[in-house]
Amino acid sequence: MAETIKLVDVTKCDGCRACMVSCKNWNDLPSEMEDFHGSYQSHEKITANTWNVLTFNEQERKDGGLDWLFRHSSCLHCTEAACEKACPENAISHTEFGSVVVDYDTCVGCGYCVQACSFDAINLATYIDKNGKEFRKAQKCTQCTDRLEEGLQPACATACHTGAIVYGDKDELLSSAEDRLAQIKERYPNANIYNPQGISGTNTVYILADKPTTYGLPENPKVALSQIVWKDYAQPIGKMMLGATTMAVIGSFIATNLNKKNHSSEGDQSHE
Amino acid sequence: MTNHWNDLKHADVLMIIGANPAENHPISFKWILKALEKGGKLISVDPRFTRTSQMANVYGQLRSGTDIAFIGGMINYILENELFHKEYVAAYTNASYIVEDTYSFNDGMFSGYDIGKRSYDKTKWAFKKDKEGKTLKDPTLKDPKCVFQLMKKHFSRYDIDTVIGVTGTAKETYLDICKTYASTGEVGKAGTILYAMGGTQHTVGTQNIRSYAILQLLLGNIGISGGGVNALRGESNVQGSTDFGLLYDNVPGYMQVPTTAETDFTYQGFLDRITPKEGYWVNKPKFYTSMMKSFYGDNATKGNEFGYHYLPKLAAGKNYSFMRLFDAMHRKELEGLLLFGSNPAVGGPNAGKEIESLSNLKWMVAVDLFETETSSFWQKEAGADPASIQTEVIFLPASGSFEKEGSVTNSGRWMQYRWQAIKPKGESKADLEIVHMLARRLKEMYKNSSNPADMPMKALTWDYGESDHPDIDLVCREINGYDMKTKQQVKKFGDLKDDGSTCSGNWIYCGFYPENENLSKRRDNTDEGMSNFLNWSYAWPANRRILYNRASADLNGKAWSKTRVGIEWNATEGKWKGNDVPDFVVDKGPNDPTFIDPFIMMAGGKGALFASINEGPLPEHYEPYENPMSNSFSSVQLNPAVQFGEEEMNAQGDVSKFPIVATTYRLSEHWQSGAMTRSQEWLAELVPHMFVEISEELAKEKGINNKDKIIVSSARGEINAYAMVTKRFKPYKLKDKTVHHIGMPWHFGYKGIVTGGSANRLTPHIGDANSTIPEYKAFLCDVRRAK
Repeated sequence: MAETIKLVDVTKCDGCRACMVSCKNWNDLPSEMEDFHGSYQSHEKITANTWNVLTFNEQERKDGGLDWLFRHSSCLHCTEAACEKACPENAISHTEFGSVVVDYDTCVGCGYCVQACSFDAINLATYIDKNGKEFRKAQKCTQCTDRLEEGLQPACATACHTGAIVYGDKDELLSSAEDRLAQIKERYPNANIYNPQGISGTNTVYILADKPTTYGLPENPKVALSQIVWKDYAQPIGKMMLGATTMAVIGSFIATNLNKKNHSSEGDQSHE
Repeated sequence: MTNHWNDLKHADVLMIIGANPAENHPISFKWILKALEKGGKLISVDPRFTRTSQMANVYGQLRSGTDIAFIGGMINYILENELFHKEYVAAYTNASYIVEDTYSFNDGMFSGYDIGKRSYDKTKWAFKKDKEGKTLKDPTLKDPKCVFQLMKKHFSRYDIDTVIGVTGTAKETYLDICKTYASTGEVGKAGTILYAMGGTQHTVGTQNIRSYAILQLLLGNIGISGGGVNALRGESNVQGSTDFGLLYDNVPGYMQVPTTAETDFTYQGFLDRITPKEGYWVNKPKFYTSMMKSFYGDNATKGNEFGYHYLPKLAAGKNYSFMRLFDAMHRKELEGLLLFGSNPAVGGPNAGKEIESLSNLKWMVAVDLFETETSSFWQKEAGADPASIQTEVIFLPASGSFEKEGSVTNSGRWMQYRWQAIKPKGESKADLEIVHMLARRLKEMYKNSSNPADMPMKALTWDYGESDHPDIDLVCREINGYDMKTKQQVKKFGDLKDDGSTCSGNWIYCGFYPENENLSKRRDNTDEGMSNFLNWSYAWPANRRILYNRASADLNGKAWSKTRVGIEWNATEGKWKGNDVPDFVVDKGPNDPTFIDPFIMMAGGKGALFASINEGPLPEHYEPYENPMSNSFSSVQLNPAVQFGEEEMNAQGDVSKFPIVATTYRLSEHWQSGAMTRSQEWLAELVPHMFVEISEELAKEKGINNKDKIIVSSARGEINAYAMVTKRFKPYKLKDKTVHHIGMPWHFGYKGIVTGGSANRLTPHIGDANSTIPEYKAFLCDVRRAK
C-alpha cells in the first residue's frame, strides 16, 4: 500500500472550525465549555475530549499589516512517536496508515505518553466504572483510522471546504506542498513545511505561514534518548528482572524529569 | 446575486464590502480560493479585520456607515482617470440619457424635496423626451445634462482626501484598492462585488448597493462571468423567501401589493399603475392574473376582476415593515402575532423596547425548533413579571431542515430540492404542514359564512390533498403553473396569459416544473462551460445562471473575452448561443435596433447609472442616525428621505455621551439569534461567551484589560460582555479627530446552553429610506469596566 499522510495547509484555512465540529461528531466526543480566553480560540489546548483545536494568533507584519494566523492543531502522528516509546504497556502503536493509535483495552492510564509528547496532543480522560471507581485512558486524534479502514477520509478533511486539510498519497502531497510553498512565499516569507526530521517526519504534515514557534510548535522535536533507552532496552530487560510495576515507577521518573525540561524550553507560545 | 457561487472562481478581482463570507458564507471560499490560485486578487473592505480579511490580498478599513463615500471615491477615481469600459458605458448604460432641467443637486439635496413629508418628487429627475416620447440621448456623453456628465460632476466632490477623512482608510491602501479594482475596467477583465448585511443595514442601505451597481456598470462588470453585484443572502432560503413575497409590499415574483389608493380601486387601474410602458415588465398583467388564478382558481373570473378584490390592500402610504409592526404593537394596534423561526427579542433593533411591545399582544403563536427568548419573553428568566403580562403564548414545535422535504433557493437563485433525511421528533411539524393545517381549518370555519368579509377565505383554493400532510408535489406544480383547461404544465413564463387561462404561483419560477419533471431535483454536476452547471437544479429565471448575460458580448454580439464566453450571436443559426441560457430574445439579431439593449427588465434596456429611488437618482453620503462627526460632503447630516417611527422606540444617542462607533455581526460558529446554535453543544462550545471586540488603544484609554468584564451602553440600554482586546480593531483616523470603534456579535440571549447579553438591546430603531431595514451596523455607544 502506498504511504498516505494528512496535509494541513494553514494558509488555506479560513478559521471556520468545521474540523473541530466534525471531529466531535464522528468520534462522539462531549463538548467542553471553557472560560473566556480573550480571543476567538475556544479551547486553550488539545484535551482528551477535544482532539483538535483551531488556534488563533494575531501578529503584526513587517509591512505594517496584520496577520491572523489559524492552525488546525491536533496529533501529528510522529514516525518516531515519543508517546509510543513512553508507553509501558505497548498500548500505543502505528497502524498500516501511519497513524498512531491507543489501544484503550491495554492502556492503564499511567500518563507517561502525556509527559512524553512534544506537542501536547495526547491527554488522559477520566471515567468512572460500574463500582464508582475512577480510571483513566489516554485519548487523542486517531487520524480517523476507523474511517480510513473503510476507505473514507478523516472527518476533518471531509469537512474542510477550502482544502486546507487533505488526506492522500504521501509523495503526491509532499510534492504539492513544495509547489504551494513557492506560491505563498511572497505573502508569507517565513512559510515552511513542518515535517520534523528529528522524529523521521510526521503523518500529519503542515504548511505553516510562519516559524513553527509562532504556532507553539518545537523547531526540531526529538524523542529523548532516555525514552529510546527506556523503551527499547531497559523496559524489556527490566520487565524480565523486576516486574512491570517497578519498571513503570522508574519509567515515570525518567519521563517526568527528562521530558519536562524539553517542554518548558519549547512551545507554549501565548495565543493573541 | 446577478451571478452565482461557482462563478466566483472566474473573477480577476473580488471586492468584499459589507460582507464577511469566510465567517458567514464559508463555502464561498471554496470558489474564491480557486480565483486566488489563478492569480486573482481579493480585497476586503470592513470596519474590522475579519477572517475574510486574513484571506485577502488587501485589507482596507472603513468607518461603519461610510460605504457611499468609499465607493463614491472609487467612482470618481475611475471617471477622472478614464478607467471605465468606454464602449460598454456608452452603449449598455443610460450614461447618454439627457436629464430634465428640473434636476438639480445642491449641498446634499436633490431638487423636488418636500420637507414635511421627508420625500422627493421624483418626476423632477426624469429623462428628457422628444415629441414622440423617445428619450433624448447624447452618444458622445458630452452634453452637460447627460447622465454621464451629471454623474461625473456629482462624484467629483468625492476626492481622495475628503473620502479618507470620512472613511478613515489609510491613503496608500485606498489608492491601492482603487487601482486594483479599476483594473477590471479593461476589456476582458472581470471584477465582482460581494456584499451582505454590512451593505444593507444602514439608513442609506439601498443607495450603498446602488453605488456598487454604478461601479460595476462603469467597469463593464455586469452580465459577465466573474463579475456581477452579488448579494450573499443571510440564510439558506432567504432568497426563496423574498422571491415568494415575504416582504409586506411584495407578492410572489417581485410584484406590488395593491393599496387603498384611488388608482387601485379596480384591477385595471392597479395594473395601469404598476405596469411600465417599456421593458419586460410590460408582461406584468399576465404574471399577476396567473398568480391570482393560482390563489382563487375558478373563483377568479373576468367578471370579478380575477379575484382582485379578495386580495388584502395596504393602507395607501402606510409602511408595514418589521419596525413599524413593533411600533403598532407598542401603540396596542396589533392583537396577534404569528412567528415562524423568528426571534425578535434577540434579533430585533432596540430589542428591549420590542420585548416591551410584545406584552401588548393578546396572543402570540411561535413556531420554532427551540423555546426562544421571544416565545418566553413573559418568563421570570427574561426579567419579566409573568403575572402582569396577559399575552397568551402558544408554542408549536417545528421540524429542522433535515426532517422535511422541499426546496431552498440559494443566493445564486438556484432552487435546490432537498429530501427528508430523518423523521421529525415528537410532534414537531414542517412549516408547510403547519400552514396547511391552519388553512384547512380556517377554510372549514368559514365554509358556511355569508359575510362578505369572509369571501377571500372562501374563494381561496387549497387543493393540496385531503390529509393534514400536504402533497408537496401539487404545491410545486402550482408554483410553476398550468393551463386551467388542460391542466398541462406551462413550459415557460412567456406562455402565461392575462385572460385567466393559465395559473402560476410565482412567475419567476415558471419553467422549473414542465410536464413531469421537477427540475429543482436535478443533480447532474457536469460542467458544460463556465461553471454554469445548467443541468444541476434550476435557476430562476428560465434556468439562467448569469443575469443580463447579453452584456457579456460586445455590440456585435461577440464575447468581450474568449475566456469568458457567456452568450454570443451566432449569425449562421440566427440565434444567441453559448454557455448560458440567453437573458435576451434568443433570435433578436443585429438588424433589430434593440440588439444592444441588454438590460431587458429596464425601460430602454440600459443599465441604470442614474435611477430614481427615494433619496435621489445618484448615491450621496449621509451620516448614520448616530454618528461621530458632521457630514464632510454637505450640511445634510441624515438621509433626508428616512422616515421616523414611534418616537418612544427611537431614542437617539449623542456623540458627547456615546463617543464610540459600534457595529454588530455574526460569527461562523453561531446562527442568527443563536436559537439553533446556542442549543447545540458542539457549536456552543466554540463560542460560549458574549464578547465585545475593542482595540488596544481604546482598552488602554478605558483601563480595560483583555478578558475583563465590561458594560456597553447606548441610548437604548446596556449589556454585559467580556472584553476581547485585539489588534484587529484600530481607531479611525478621520478628518479632524481619531474615533474609536467596537464590534460585537448579536447571537446571544438568555436561553440555550450558552448565554450572554443581546447586542440588539443597544441598536437603534431606525431604517433605510427604501426598504426600512434597520440600521444595525452603525450606532454610538460607550464602554466601561464592570465593577
